[in-house]
Amino acid sequence: MAHASVVPGPEHVHLDGSGPILALERISKRYGATRALVDVSLTLAPGEVHALVGENGAGKSTLMKVLAGAVAPDAGHIVISGVTRAHLTPSSAMALGVSIVYQDADLVGSLTVAQNVFLGQEPVGRLGLVDGATQSRITRGVIDKLGVDLDPDSLAARLSPAQRQLTQIVRALRTEPRVLVMDEPTTSLGRSEVRHLMGVVRGLAARGIGIIYISHLLDEVLEIADRVTVLKDGHTVASRPVAGLTSGDLATLMVGRSATAFFARDRAPVGDVALRVVGLTGPGIPHPVSFEVRQGEVLGFGGLVGAGRTELMELLFGSVHARSGQMFLDGQAVRIGSPHQAVAAGIGMVTEDRAASGLFRGRSIRENLAAAWTELQGPVVRGERELATRLVDTLGIVAAGVDQDVSRLSGGNQQKVVIGRWLAIDAPVLLFDEPTKGVDIGAKQEIYRLIGDLLRRGKAVLLVSSELPELLSLSDRIAVMRGGRLVDIVDARAATEQGLMRAFLGVTDD
Amino acid sequence: MTDQAASRSGAPSPVPAVQPRGTSLRTFIAANQWVLLLALIVFLGAITASINPRFLDSRNLISILEQSAVLGLVAAGATMLIISGNFDISVGAMIGLAAVIMAMLVLAGIPEPLAIVVGILTCVVCSVANAGLARAFNAPTFIVTLATAGIFTGIGLALTQGIIQQVPNDFTFLSGTRLFDVMPLVFIVSLCGYLAVGLILRYTRMGRRTYAIGDNPRAAFLAGINVSRSTLVLFAINGLLVGVAAVVLISRIGSALPSTGAGLELRAIGAVVIGGVPITGGKGGVLGTFLGVLLLGVISNMLNMLRINPFLQEIAFGGLIVVAIGIAALRSRMEPSR
Repeated sequence: MAHASVVPGPEHVHLDGSGPILALERISKRYGATRALVDVSLTLAPGEVHALVGENGAGKSTLMKVLAGAVAPDAGHIVISGVTRAHLTPSSAMALGVSIVYQDADLVGSLTVAQNVFLGQEPVGRLGLVDGATQSRITRGVIDKLGVDLDPDSLAARLSPAQRQLTQIVRALRTEPRVLVMDEPTTSLGRSEVRHLMGVVRGLAARGIGIIYISHLLDEVLEIADRVTVLKDGHTVASRPVAGLTSGDLATLMVGRSATAFFARDRAPVGDVALRVVGLTGPGIPHPVSFEVRQGEVLGFGGLVGAGRTELMELLFGSVHARSGQMFLDGQAVRIGSPHQAVAAGIGMVTEDRAASGLFRGRSIRENLAAAWTELQGPVVRGERELATRLVDTLGIVAAGVDQDVSRLSGGNQQKVVIGRWLAIDAPVLLFDEPTKGVDIGAKQEIYRLIGDLLRRGKAVLLVSSELPELLSLSDRIAVMRGGRLVDIVDARAATEQGLMRAFLGVTDD
Repeated sequence: MTDQAASRSGAPSPVPAVQPRGTSLRTFIAANQWVLLLALIVFLGAITASINPRFLDSRNLISILEQSAVLGLVAAGATMLIISGNFDISVGAMIGLAAVIMAMLVLAGIPEPLAIVVGILTCVVCSVANAGLARAFNAPTFIVTLATAGIFTGIGLALTQGIIQQVPNDFTFLSGTRLFDVMPLVFIVSLCGYLAVGLILRYTRMGRRTYAIGDNPRAAFLAGINVSRSTLVLFAINGLLVGVAAVVLISRIGSALPSTGAGLELRAIGAVVIGGVPITGGKGGVLGTFLGVLLLGVISNMLNMLRINPFLQEIAFGGLIVVAIGIAALRSRMEPSR
């Protein structure tokens, strides 16, 4: 690759005047009968943070691919720093200064930060060997300029999610881009890490880089962006400064309907104690945890990333062995030593990472829905099709039929399949770990509706969520976790975002 | 493998959920590799018959079935294991060990039925031991069985001191018996093996677990499937099939050596792959394996019939696996990439 580009450039990218660094003009793209983009225009000024929002399928990724040079638009053109092109290629996009931080591109764990940053574009010294020292030096330079805490020589496998994200950004910045596209950069980050990332983004903007910021998290968008473009079904619905906009306004624009029902759920009558936990400890939970959840109740679990919420769910579900403690379901003591026993006892868990740990991607919707149910049936499978058909109906899963491969479903529908697996066994206790992570607003609302249905049927729900509005509006009570300890359980109706945040951080003064 | 989609349109949204696919013939063949195999078998058979009509002689056709029996039983077991993401490459050694144990027992005057039971149990125990070791050390079964293959062969050598064990004539009743004077009993036995595996995979909880574990072991564990116990059961079934294969083999050749089953494991894996089970597991069925084994039998017979250098058989075997991999690549390219 071009060696010149690895040498750190001037401190600022100077542009003449304040004209746009990037202009997409009337871009259209059609896939078969689907119009992915229709006359979409967008301008980006140097130093501007321009948010791109829209539901899944609104055209964000296609637009991003156009910018990356991966997709050639059918109509329209792209102007970057005065150069006009009908389409880009990956190398011309890079040469013109476009760099992209992908959402799910992962790092190679066995390589160092610097090696990951240069992956595929290693500087070559004499004898054709990779010049590791140059890699480290340049990576360190980018890191220093970014003002973040990251060691170029530490192994990627040892990094926290936030540090991995930063490595992706360093990687994108190495080529000194003038336009940086960030796709959902905060999905795997905790609250404080998001704060830090926001600072990094602002710093980049101050250096004159134009940033296109794609996110589902509207509060984040309102906080960081100067302008926002809302896409819906491939059309530009709005492109305007964020000043004066509320997340409600944005949500309305995105879904094209009033978003007042967004976070409202009707409270179900709360019944008997469904699950009682006494003195539970285990890996990541050093201090005994005790609580109870009633039928028809949502007990939310809030805390920073690393507070032990996921670890606690794993102990409750038996996927990790508890060291001590007791659990009572419906007043009966149960021993949960494995997910197998949890399922038999009537506990279901929707994991945070549905692709890696929830779905059988090569199998049908039917088998995915029936997986846990089958375990509770006899040795010969009977009635699977009826069960799956009923669940597809109940859940409103959009599919050609129950034999369709689950991998052909959209993200939201896949999430419904994962949840449907536990509806199938009518589990009285359900653990939800970040159930709406990475799904669009429409699917989110359906998942909220599903949780509401479960509560009306007397199920007890344990909800881990890093989105405070979601936690506040869905929960009846919120368990505050900090450092592997359950520090408090508060009434959700009396709680505020600020109050919870203070509790998560352990701020006790005043 | 799957049935026609029960087209039910309870979906509330007008969004078309099915993505546009490639040409329907290509899709059909990629999804139903067995059709291709069947066509290939018929095609090769037709060519051979046109050159040498004796190919179609019923005795010849029956001998193909007869000669495919041992490989069929082993491949049926391998089908289940590979779908679950496991491999047992010690089955050849296992057959050798079971064969010499059975032969020595019979020679020592133990009644044949008892010797057969002991032989089959030997394979079940060996196979379960493989799964147990893999579980204890959290190691891939491929590596564990690579190790145990050596151990099993070594035990066989130690038992026999490397001396060939001739079995009495009456042990060969199994291979000599023909149902209705035509159908070889050993073929029926292997057919039962296929059928058992096919029924388990398609209609039982164990079958669902097999696919689930092969597709995504972590998700299987979190869906409440006892992955390690299920794996033990799969290996036990595999051991049973391999044990029966050992009985059939010793009955056919009338003698036993520790190296008797050598190489069967790789032919079995090859037949499974030719039959369309991806080597990464999670998909496929036993019908493809059946036809894969049959195809290998037909090719070997054909080369005999046409007096072609038998070394070509190995090339054909390798070539078929390459073609199977090519079809798998074609199939994955047609699937959505998200």
